[in-house]
Amino acid sequence: MENSKMTVLHDWHVEQGANMALFGNYDMPLWYKTGAKAEHLAVIGAAGIFDTSHMAVVTVRGEGARALLQLCLSKDLETCIGKGKTALVDGRCVYGIFLAEDGTVIDDAILYQLRSDIFMVVVNAGMGGIVADHLKKYTDGQDADVQDLTDKVGKMDIQGPLAAKILAKVLAHSAGVFDRLSYFSFKGSFGPFASDRVVTLVDGTPLLVSRTGYTGEFGFELFVEIDCLPSLWSQLMDAGMDQGMLACGLAARDSLRAGAVLPLSHQDIGAWPFLHNPWQFALSWNEPMTSFSKKFIGGPALLKSRWQKHTLPFAGFDPRKINAGEGSFVTRESGERLGTILTCTTDMAIGRVDGAIVSVASNKDFQAKGLCCGFVLLDQACVSGEKVVLTDGKRKIIVEIRADVRPNRTARRPMDKMLG
Amino acid sequence: MKELSEVIFVEELKYTEDHEWVTGSGATLKVGISDYAQDQLGDIVFVELPEVGTVFAKGDQFGNLESVKAVSELYLPVGGEIVAVNDALGDAPELINQDPYGNWIVEIKPSDTSELEQLLTVDAYRQLLRG
Repeated sequence: MENSKMTVLHDWHVEQGANMALFGNYDMPLWYKTGAKAEHLAVIGAAGIFDTSHMAVVTVRGEGARALLQLCLSKDLETCIGKGKTALVDGRCVYGIFLAEDGTVIDDAILYQLRSDIFMVVVNAGMGGIVADHLKKYTDGQDADVQDLTDKVGKMDIQGPLAAKILAKVLAHSAGVFDRLSYFSFKGSFGPFASDRVVTLVDGTPLLVSRTGYTGEFGFELFVEIDCLPSLWSQLMDAGMDQGMLACGLAARDSLRAGAVLPLSHQDIGAWPFLHNPWQFALSWNEPMTSFSKKFIGGPALLKSRWQKHTLPFAGFDPRKINAGEGSFVTRESGERLGTILTCTTDMAIGRVDGAIVSVASNKDFQAKGLCCGFVLLDQACVSGEKVVLTDGKRKIIVEIRADVRPNRTARRPMDKMLG
Repeated sequence: MKELSEVIFVEELKYTEDHEWVTGSGATLKVGISDYAQDQLGDIVFVELPEVGTVFAKGDQFGNLESVKAVSELYLPVGGEIVAVNDALGDAPELINQDPYGNWIVEIKPSDTSELEQLLTVDAYRQLLRG
């Protein structure tokens, strides 16, 4: 525990009796007294709030900022928005990967354009300095000032179908804030990004409201000056407590994101080429996937790569899991070794009905027992529906390779449907 | 996480270093996990139970508890034959979280009752948790 870090909400987590554990060197809540299952289900049926202030923020400013990010982020900033493939503009954000020259993953990120010359990059816990140094390496005399704001930004997420209704209670002029706030767009600003497009809480605190998250469900990531985070957190607790909202720990965050087929950086993506995985949309592939629409760091290595392994989502047939890690592996039913387990957790909101996966989101009376799910890294491609065996050398469980896991997710639902 | 002062101990039970409890002294013993163990594991979502009739030695793994986060092995505190398993846990594994001492996991017929003497008293178990 020595040298481990704490977020500004740490005292609250401990006072609430959370089970704490180190994550990215931060002492974080795994679950509160409500338990991970109730927290997971709250996000599916109502809402949950998450302390995500362990994540790091890097800013890039200047005339050369966009060119630097276009060079370093895997996504093409000129064609990354929507079906029309338009350019990143103010108020929009995009998911991408920072690759090393060899095509391996440094970290994944969401890039926010606050102004044509001001960008905010949100990366994983402990990665602020590393990503900032990586960007600085490629500034090459251009006017692009890179700052690591690790531990200087307050961030929390509110996720779930009631997220907007609960957030509306603490926002000033919420109708205006939510108007046309489509998936992967944001409004407002805070501390280091003073702007005239102000979004504030009822108490006047400026914040940035982003229509993003890491659960696959409808909701927001909220950014404030770090000193304002405890107050925002308690205001949202008060606003949501009679709506079935729960504070959620990292266990629920992990099971929700696994069911939504979202990768955990340095676990599902990492020190191997970013190829043959479910997240190729994060690259700037052209239509036949033969080359990229732009030049970017790591791109040439990916095009030349002989990487043959495949990262694939899976779901089991009951809640049983195999702990991922050394000694655990994947085989065919015949016993032939296929690869390793990257993530294996239980999505508590789903179960099987006649073989098909059903979520409590589509049927509130459905008694989901949960299904194990996650990602495997296999030596060869497997098609969706194929069954493989996860084992720790003793226990074996059969799981199914899937294109998707938890159905009826709400992340992309139109704003008006969630407010109506 | 429960403070030690919040952890429930039951005076008349025997405990193991693997955070299991044992009750009964005669023909059969019931085995479950302690309040401390269920609090550490978090929500239990699946209980893997042995077949009735299986014989295990002391310390053998006889089943698994699956929490949302991980799989934890269950070890038999005293060698013997499994004479019953708590089938209610199949449909409702969360019963262990709700009442860890009211919900036994397996019942065993011990092959050597002298092994019972190696189990921990409640005071010794409390001391173990104090560290």
